[in-house]
Amino acid sequence: MSRGWWAKFFLLVFITVLSVVYVYPTVANLDLQKTRFPFKQKINLGLDLQGGLYMVLGVDFNKVFKDVVQRQSGSLETRFKEKQVTVKSVQVVTQNLPADDPHVVVEFDAPQREAVYGLVKKEYWMLRLVSEAAGRFELGLTSEYRTEVRDRTISQSIEVIRNRIDEFGVSEPVIASQGTDRVVVELPGVKEIDRAKDLIGRTAKLEFKMVDDKTMSAAELSKLIADIEKEKNISFKEGDKFSQYVAQMNEAAQGKIPAGEEIAFERSEGIPGQALVRVPYLLFSKSEVTGDDLQDASVQVDPENQRPNVSFTLNPHGATLFDKLTADNIGKRLAIVLDNIVHSAPVIQSRIGGGRGQITLGRGDGDDLMKQAKDLAIVLRAGALPAQLEFLEQRVIGPSLGQDSIHKGALASLIGSLAVFLFVMFYYRVSGVIAVFSLVLNVLFVLATLVGLEATLTLPGIAGIALTVGIAVDSNVVIYERIREELRLGKNIFGAVEAGFQKAFRTILDANVTNAAAAIVLLVYGTGPIKGFAVTLLVGILTTLFTAIFVCKLIFDIYLHVLEKKNQGKGVVQTLSI
Amino acid sequence: MFEIIRPGTQIDFVGKRHLWIGISIISILATIVLFFTKGLNYGIDFTGGAEVQVKVPESWDISKVRSAMEASSVKGTKVQQIGEAASHQFLIKAQGDEKSLNLVSKQVEEALGKTLKTGEFEIQKTDVVGPAAGSSLRTSGFLSMFYALLCILLYVSFRFDTRYSPGAVLALFHDSVITLGVFIITQKQFDLQILAALLALIGYSNNDTIIVYDRVRETLHQHPGLTIEQGVNRAVNETLGRTILTSLCTFLTVFALWLFGGKVIEDFAFTLMVGIVVGTYSSIFIASSFVIYLTEYQQNRAAKLKISGGGKPTSVKRKSMPNVRPEPKFQP
Repeated sequence: MSRGWWAKFFLLVFITVLSVVYVYPTVANLDLQKTRFPFKQKINLGLDLQGGLYMVLGVDFNKVFKDVVQRQSGSLETRFKEKQVTVKSVQVVTQNLPADDPHVVVEFDAPQREAVYGLVKKEYWMLRLVSEAAGRFELGLTSEYRTEVRDRTISQSIEVIRNRIDEFGVSEPVIASQGTDRVVVELPGVKEIDRAKDLIGRTAKLEFKMVDDKTMSAAELSKLIADIEKEKNISFKEGDKFSQYVAQMNEAAQGKIPAGEEIAFERSEGIPGQALVRVPYLLFSKSEVTGDDLQDASVQVDPENQRPNVSFTLNPHGATLFDKLTADNIGKRLAIVLDNIVHSAPVIQSRIGGGRGQITLGRGDGDDLMKQAKDLAIVLRAGALPAQLEFLEQRVIGPSLGQDSIHKGALASLIGSLAVFLFVMFYYRVSGVIAVFSLVLNVLFVLATLVGLEATLTLPGIAGIALTVGIAVDSNVVIYERIREELRLGKNIFGAVEAGFQKAFRTILDANVTNAAAAIVLLVYGTGPIKGFAVTLLVGILTTLFTAIFVCKLIFDIYLHVLEKKNQGKGVVQTLSI
Repeated sequence: MFEIIRPGTQIDFVGKRHLWIGISIISILATIVLFFTKGLNYGIDFTGGAEVQVKVPESWDISKVRSAMEASSVKGTKVQQIGEAASHQFLIKAQGDEKSLNLVSKQVEEALGKTLKTGEFEIQKTDVVGPAAGSSLRTSGFLSMFYALLCILLYVSFRFDTRYSPGAVLALFHDSVITLGVFIITQKQFDLQILAALLALIGYSNNDTIIVYDRVRETLHQHPGLTIEQGVNRAVNETLGRTILTSLCTFLTVFALWLFGGKVIEDFAFTLMVGIVVGTYSSIFIASSFVIYLTEYQQNRAAKLKISGGGKPTSVKRKSMPNVRPEPKFQP
């Protein structure tokens, strides 16, 4: 027996006790809030095993189609000019129409009819002629194009939400379309529901717009806003939709501010009980650079005041635009607008190349601000949602496999494991008992590691554990068959055990490393269930190597030692129960 | 000492390798033909489907709703509780699309109506849902499996020899394709759970193959006098006990899962059961046969090169070499 076995033994006891502490709250199903048990962490179960939160989000297609028609109308106007087709007007009309189907009306002098018709027919396949009167076309979107817009908007929304949730670190959510204008998001037992919801629902449209400081002073603008508020009876109360207030304000301000400009606000929020500070700006509506040109965004801490901010990098296209914009507008103010709210409006001091910038955050205390900054960086990186989403429904949902199946499955696994244990103990006797013992330890280690990694366990993950158990049984079989072979070769027991373990080691290592290599690839390139499987498999491979080579060998050594003691004075041990 | 396989057993596994490979090639071709004609029965995870929300009386639990659905004509259902437990609402997902939505809803109504009176249950809403595993997930899944196989190919070439790696990867390909073939024939639903089972069986078969390979490598190294055929056959025979024992143990667990696991787990366990059988078969017959083919190919090529190089036309084929060392015989 090798010296220092007791050190190995204590290491094993230590690891086992630690694992039991990690796994106990999960197995005993402790209420983590109430328990006095010092270790407060449980294994997270996925949607298929535990269920979670079921949310339905509605896409605001009225706005989407309004925007689409508006863009078509703008494009028509430009093309008419370019092709020198004189028209009287191109307008979007919404009156007496369904909210999601606005039309474009083109008015022209009668002789221009053919030219107008020809251009629309040739270049605008997505428009159809709804009605015609003398010198007037009413155009609407074709149903094919409407379907295309719907499908694209939904699939883009799903993609963006998936990216955001992935970055937030929730594993294996379900995100799918429902009907034609809704998205279902299912999240497994998320701890910070509100934060997750905020992350999912935020549009995250980033724009850079120039500030108009010439038309009126800040005081004049504030006065104008106050007048409009009084005149139109618009006001903003806590709890209202701020976007709605801004939209109303801009509608009322039309004619009072120059065309092609808009009113926007900077909001400083955070300290409860204190009134919101709203700083108004007059902006040029055209967005010079948008978040579409964003390459990366990350959280940084300002060394001066220790406050986190989000710094971003633009892609080459965006950087060129930004470079030109700043060069042309030195001394003027550039507003950074996120979801129609101004975040800051610094004066351009010099030309800014490289396309880097920062977004400062509102007020708030340290931790909260850090979370805000992290979430903002996530949504900016994941990209903007193509449309505004609204939470329509939020409910609890049971496990997708069904509670009954889970109970049955757990029972079946238990029966299966017991059958294997009995078989192994029958086949290998005392050595079989050792194998079963190390097998149980192996599963314990896998579960403890999963708790430690805060991984989410789903059915694919369980498949990984089942595979681990299979491979672990195999490792024992390989070792024992080797020992038997060595015994047949006529080696004594100690020699056979040593040689058996040594020769089996290479085999086990090769088999496990090949599987580990594949598992790492699945972990890196796979998503969702494939990743979940890879995590448990990888953990399982490590624990299997550890138990087969370290634990099993150690117990065998102890077993041989005991045999030797029993046999003291009666010569060399002759029989091994294998 | 219990022994399933007596030591010293010499079954001729590799002698009929053309036959085994032939059977496998036919099975793979058949699967490919079936894949394009009959097709996999993709579950709603991949295709999306219809979603019906029902409210049932308090005496009904999820298993009752599930068995009512299974007895009905609604295809490929999944039942899930929604809302608080006290609300007794369930979400029934089934195969279907926009056109068949009314039909599915009617079928659900009929299924519940068999045992419940009108008014005791309520169809609360019906809708179509998109796939939970969309196209991007499918693509990344496919790609990651491809990279994983590539990785195994490289690792086995590096750790063993280039003669070994194609067999290992082909065996894995063989296993997954044939398991898919069984799925096409039985028309069981292929969904995310089955994908997980498929991954697990690839891992299992990989483990199995490497253990046989390891013994082939060792045997050829220790007994240089053996022909490649003899070496492989001997290695397969020597590991036969462990192969059967391990497969038996794993099969036992999965069998219990299949027998007692209930309807939902059943298909998952079924995949693993098929996989264990096919995976064990492929490590014994397919992966090792490929080592023989490739070794023979290399030797033939080496011989041809020698001829064209102007050297004496000697045969370097291992097969023709005399068996120098007699095989040692062990007494059990």
